[in-house]
Amino acid sequence: MAFLQWRRFNFFDKEAVKNPATDQVFDLLKDVNVSACTSGRGQLVVGDFEGNLYFINRQMELTAFRAYEIRVTHLTQLKQHNLLISIGEDEQGINPLIKVWNLDKMERGSPTCTRLTRAIPGNKPTPVSAFAVHDNLNFMAVGFENGIVLLFKGDVTRERHSKSRNVFEGTKRVTGLVFKTMGKDVILYVVTENSLHTVNITAKDAHMKLDDTGANPGCIVMTDASQDNQLVIGRPDAVYFYQPDGRGPCLAFEGIKLQLHWFRGYLIVVGKESKAMPRAPVLGPHGMEMNTVTVYDIQNKFIAYSAPYPEVIDVMCESGSIFIFTGDRKLYQLQEKDTQSKLEMLFKKNNYSLAISLAKSQQLDQDGLIDIFTQYGDHLYGKGDHDGAIDQYIKTIGKLEASYVIRKFLDAQRIHNLTKYLQALHKSQIATEEHTTLLLNCYTKLKDVSKLDEFIMTKNREVDFDVETAINVCRQSGYCKHALALAEKHEKHEHYLKIQLEDIKDYQKALAYIGKLEFEPAESNLKQYGKILMSQVPNETTELLKRLCTDYRPNDKPLIDQVSLDGGIGKIQKAQAEEFIHIFVNNAGKLTEFLEHMIEVQPASSNLVYNTLLELYLHDMVHEKVISARVERERKTLELLKNPDANYDIDQALILCQMNNFKAGILYLYEKAHLYQQILRYHMEHNEYVHVIESCKKFGQQDPQLWVQALSYFACKEENCKSQLMETLTHIDKKNLLPPLMVIQILAHNSTATLSVVKDYIVRRLQMENDQIAEDERLIKQYKEDTEKKRIKIEDLKTSAKVFQASKCNICSHALELPSVHFLCEPHSFHQHCFESYSENDMECPVCAPENRKIMDIIRAQEQSRDFHEFFHNQLERAPDGFSVVADYFGRGVFNKVTLITDQTGKGVSGTSTYR
Amino acid sequence: MSYAYLFKYIIIGDTGVGKSCLLLQFTDKRFQPVHDLTIGVEFGARMITIDGKQIKLQIWDTAGQESFRSITRSYYRGAAGALLVYDITRRDTFNHLTTWLEDARQHSNSNMVIMLIGNKSDLEARREVKKEEGEAFAREHGLIFMETSAKTAANVEEAFINTAKEIYQKIQDGVFDINNEANGIKIGPQHSPANQSLNVGGSGGNQGGNCC
Ligand SMILES: Nc1nc2c(ncn2[C@@H]2O[C@H](COP(=O)(O)OP(=O)(O)OP(=O)(O)O)[C@@H](O)[C@H]2O)c(=O)[nH]1
Ligand SMILES: [Mg+2]
Ligand SMILES: [Zn+2]
Ligand SMILES: [Zn+2]
Repeated sequence: MAFLQWRRFNFFDKEAVKNPATDQVFDLLKDVNVSACTSGRGQLVVGDFEGNLYFINRQMELTAFRAYEIRVTHLTQLKQHNLLISIGEDEQGINPLIKVWNLDKMERGSPTCTRLTRAIPGNKPTPVSAFAVHDNLNFMAVGFENGIVLLFKGDVTRERHSKSRNVFEGTKRVTGLVFKTMGKDVILYVVTENSLHTVNITAKDAHMKLDDTGANPGCIVMTDASQDNQLVIGRPDAVYFYQPDGRGPCLAFEGIKLQLHWFRGYLIVVGKESKAMPRAPVLGPHGMEMNTVTVYDIQNKFIAYSAPYPEVIDVMCESGSIFIFTGDRKLYQLQEKDTQSKLEMLFKKNNYSLAISLAKSQQLDQDGLIDIFTQYGDHLYGKGDHDGAIDQYIKTIGKLEASYVIRKFLDAQRIHNLTKYLQALHKSQIATEEHTTLLLNCYTKLKDVSKLDEFIMTKNREVDFDVETAINVCRQSGYCKHALALAEKHEKHEHYLKIQLEDIKDYQKALAYIGKLEFEPAESNLKQYGKILMSQVPNETTELLKRLCTDYRPNDKPLIDQVSLDGGIGKIQKAQAEEFIHIFVNNAGKLTEFLEHMIEVQPASSNLVYNTLLELYLHDMVHEKVISARVERERKTLELLKNPDANYDIDQALILCQMNNFKAGILYLYEKAHLYQQILRYHMEHNEYVHVIESCKKFGQQDPQLWVQALSYFACKEENCKSQLMETLTHIDKKNLLPPLMVIQILAHNSTATLSVVKDYIVRRLQMENDQIAEDERLIKQYKEDTEKKRIKIEDLKTSAKVFQASKCNICSHALELPSVHFLCEPHSFHQHCFESYSENDMECPVCAPENRKIMDIIRAQEQSRDFHEFFHNQLERAPDGFSVVADYFGRGVFNKVTLITDQTGKGVSGTSTYR
Repeated sequence: MSYAYLFKYIIIGDTGVGKSCLLLQFTDKRFQPVHDLTIGVEFGARMITIDGKQIKLQIWDTAGQESFRSITRSYYRGAAGALLVYDITRRDTFNHLTTWLEDARQHSNSNMVIMLIGNKSDLEARREVKKEEGEAFAREHGLIFMETSAKTAANVEEAFINTAKEIYQKIQDGVFDINNEANGIKIGPQHSPANQSLNVGGSGGNQGGNCC
C-alpha cells in the first residue's frame, strides 16, 4: 500500500551544535543521565537522575547546580517569567517535592528556591506522572500515577496562601495536563492512558469526557494561536485535534508517536517507524534505536522536514530554532530556511499553489506574492493550462504590466481567457481605453450578448471604462442597442442620436429623446439632425420645433421645477425660428405650418420668418389651379402683406410678388411704399385705363404729377381714349397742374386727339384768364385809389390840426369828462380812468390796438419768413402760378432792403388832459 | 456570529471525487486545481439562512482513501446530513456508492439526510456516468440527487443548502429530536440559555465540533 502522506520538503537546515570553547561537537552532557528537559527565555534546561540541573545559554555555555538530593523527575520553565519549576525527590521512597526557582536571583552560584511543596494527593504518596503550570502563576496542576489530579491555587512562587484540591480522580495514570484559558474560564485538559477529559477549574471543576482514548506521556501538545490553541493528541493511527467542547479534525499520520512538540505553526512528531515495517528497528550509533523527527506545516499541509535521529531524548524549541537532544547526548539545531529559499524550492517543483499559500501564511509582501503569481501564470501557460494561467495573471493586476499578459492571449483561441482578464482589469478600475475596446471586441467576437449586457446595461454599476470608446466599439460591431443604452445612460446625446438615426433609424425615438433634453442640447441637436428628422417624421418634428421655439421645457420635467419652487422666476427658453427654416428642405407644407404657428404666438417674429412665409404663400398660390382655392390663397397672402405686425422686407416682398406676378400684392406694396408713380406705371404697362384714372384719383392728392403723366400716357395712346383724356384734362384743369400751353404741347403728340377734345378746355381756360386779368386790373385800380386816400390823410395829419369833438368815451360810452385822453386815430377819446384800466400801454389807443397788433404781426411775420428761401422756392415750384407767389412775397416786402418803419402814426397826443 | 441551529454534515465518497473542492468552494468560493489528498478528516463551516433563520453548517470533509476508512468512520456519528459524492467521469466511483451508503447508514443516525452528488459536471466530454443513472440510484435509495461542479461552482451552494432545507423540514416535522446532539443538530447558544458556557464563537477554521 502506498504510504499516504503530505508532500515533503526540506525547509530546515540541520546542524550539530558545537562547544564554543573547543569548537568541537557539543559533548558537555555526554555522561549525564537525563531525566527531564525544558527550555525558555533563551536557555535549555536539563535535569538528571542524580538531582542536578544543567543550564545551556545561547552561547552554548553550560552551568549546573544540584537541585535535589536524589533525582529530578519533571521540569517546567515558564515562558513569561524567569521561573523554573521542578519536581524531584530529596529522600528515598515516594516523596515528590515541588520546587520553584527564581532564575533571576542567584545565591552562591545557584538560583533561589522560592517554594518547596510536597506533592501528595490525599494521604498516600504516589509518583507524579504529569505536571503543568498556568502562565498566570496562579494555577499549578500535578497528575499522578494513580489517576488523581491535584490543583494548587494561589501564587505558585510561594507556599503561603496556596491551597490545593483534587480536581480529577481517574483510574489510569495521568499522562498529560494542559491549561487553556477561554475568556474568564480556565480549563484543564486531563489526559490519561485511556481517556481525555476537561475540568473547568473556574466553574466548580465541571468535568466533561472528551474521548474514550487517551495518550502516552509526551504525545500531548498545545498549538499556538495560529491554530486556535487546540490540544493535539498523538495516537498510532493519527493525531487528533481537540477543543474543550469536543474532538475536531484529525490528521492520519500513521506510526507510533513518542513525542509531540509545537514550533511556530509546525507540529513536530518524534516517532518510531511504523509497526508495519518488516525489518528490525534501524539502529544508530552505539546500537541505539533510530527515531524519526517530522515537522508538519499544519496550515499549508506539507512536511517541512523529516529525518532520522538516534533515540531522541527531547526536542526543545528555543531562540527560533529546534534543538534535538539525542540519545548519544548530542544536540542538533534545526534552523528554518528563509522564505525566499523555500519559495525557490517550491518553484523548482512547480508547486506554485503551495508557494502562494506559504507566502501568505508567512506574510510575504505584495510584490513577492505578485512575483509568485506571475511565475505560476507563466508556468501554467507553458503547460497549456490557459484557464489556470489567466486566473493567476488576474491576481497580478495592478502590478504586472497588463500588456505582458494580453500579448500572450491575443490568439483567437484564447479569447475567453483574454476576456476574463480584461474584465478583471476593468473591475480594478485600471483599464485603459484600449482595454475597453479590446474587451468589447472580445464580447462581440464571442457573440456574448449577456456579458455585453452585464458590462453595459447593468444599472448603478461603477463605470470603469471609457464611455465614448465603448459606444464606438459597440456601434462598429453592430451592437447598436448597447451603444445606444450606453449613450443614453451617460448622456452622450450626440452619440445617442447618431446611433438612433444612422443605425437603428428609429426617428420617433430620436425625436422623443431630443424632446427630453434640456434646452441647449435640444436646440443644438435639433439643428444638427433636424433635416433628417423632418424628412422622416415631419409631423412630430414640427411639433417639437414649435415647442422649442415657443417656451421650451424638457418633456419629462415637472411643470414646476426647483427654480420656480425656490421662488426664482424660471426663465423662458426658446430658440429662434429662423434658424430652423433650413431643415424643412422640401416640406413647404410643414414649414408653412411652423411659420404660421410662430407668427401667431410671436407676432414680432423676424423678417426672415415673414419673408419665408410670404414666399411659401406665393408659391402655393401660383401652383394652385383651382380658381376658388386660388382666390382664397390670394386672400391669405394679401392678408399677410397687410398684417401690421408682418415684419417682412418690402423690397424682398416686392420682388417675390413680382416674380410670382401677384398683382394685388405688388400694388399693395407699391402703395405701402408710397411708390404711386410705380402703381400708375404698372397700370399703364398693363393698359388698364380705368385703373390709371383711379390711381390718379386715389393718389393725385399725394402726387399731382400723376395726372400729368396720365395725360402724356393717354395722349400717346393711338386708340380712342377720349373720355380718359377728358377726365385727365379736367383734373389737370381743376387743379391747375399745367399751363395750357404745355397741355397743348402734350396733346400734340397724339394723332387721334382732336381739337374737340381740348376745345372746351382751351375756351374755358382763355375765359378764365380773361376774367382774371379783368379782376386784377380792378384790384390794381382799387389799390391805387386806396393808396392815394391814405397819402392825403397822412398829409392832412401832418399839416392840419385835429379837433377832438367827441362827446362820448369810446370805452364806456358816457359823456366825456375831464380828465380825458385823445388819440389821433378816428379820433378816439376816453375818460382817463377808462383809458388806464383798458390800455396796455399809454402810447396806444385801446380801441385800435387789436387791429394794429394784427398788422404788426403780419409785417413781423413777413420779415421773418424772408429767410425761408427754400420754402419760397418750394412754393414757387409747386405753385400752379409761380408769378402769384412771387407777387405775394413781394407784397410782404420780402424783397425790400428797408425794414418797415414802426408806425408812429397812432402816437397819442395829450390835449387838455393830464398826461403822464 | 450567533445562529439558531447548527447542522453537522459529513462529506464522503471515493478519493479524488472532489469532496475537499466542494467544501472549499462552499466555504471560500475558491477552487483548488491540484489534488491535495485529504489525510484524515478536515473541517469547514459556513453560515446560511433558511426560512429567515441563521443556520451554521459544520462540515466534516473525510478522506476517501480506503486506508483511512477506520478513522473517518468515527466521524459519521452525530451527523444530520451527508453529501455522498461520486465523480461523473469515473464509473468506479459510482460503482462504490453502495459500499459508502451501507457504511454511512451503519455508522450514523437513521434520520440522516443524504444528498447524492455527481461532481465534475463541467467535464461533460469525459462523462462516464449518465445523469439518469445518478437519478435512478438516488430514487432507489431514497436520496436527493444533484450534479455539481466544484470548479465552476455550479449547484454547489444548492447542494449544501438543499440538504439543510431537508433537515430543517425534518425538524419542523418533528422527525429529529433537536435536544439530542447525537442527531447532529444543535440549538444556537442564545436560543438555549442552558447551553452556552463552552461555545466559542467564530466560523471556519479548524475549530472543534461536538462531542462525539
Ligand atoms: N474539473 C473538475 N475537477 C475537479 C472538480 N472537483 C474536484 N476536481 C479535481 O479533482 C481532484 C480531486 O479533488 P479533491 O477535492 O481533492 O478530492 P477529494 O474527494 O477530496 O479526495 P480525497 O481527499 O482523496 O478523498 C483535484 O485535482 C481537483 O482539482 C470539479 O468539479 N471539476
Ligand atoms: Mg479531500
Ligand atoms: Zn369812459
Ligand atoms: Zn383809436
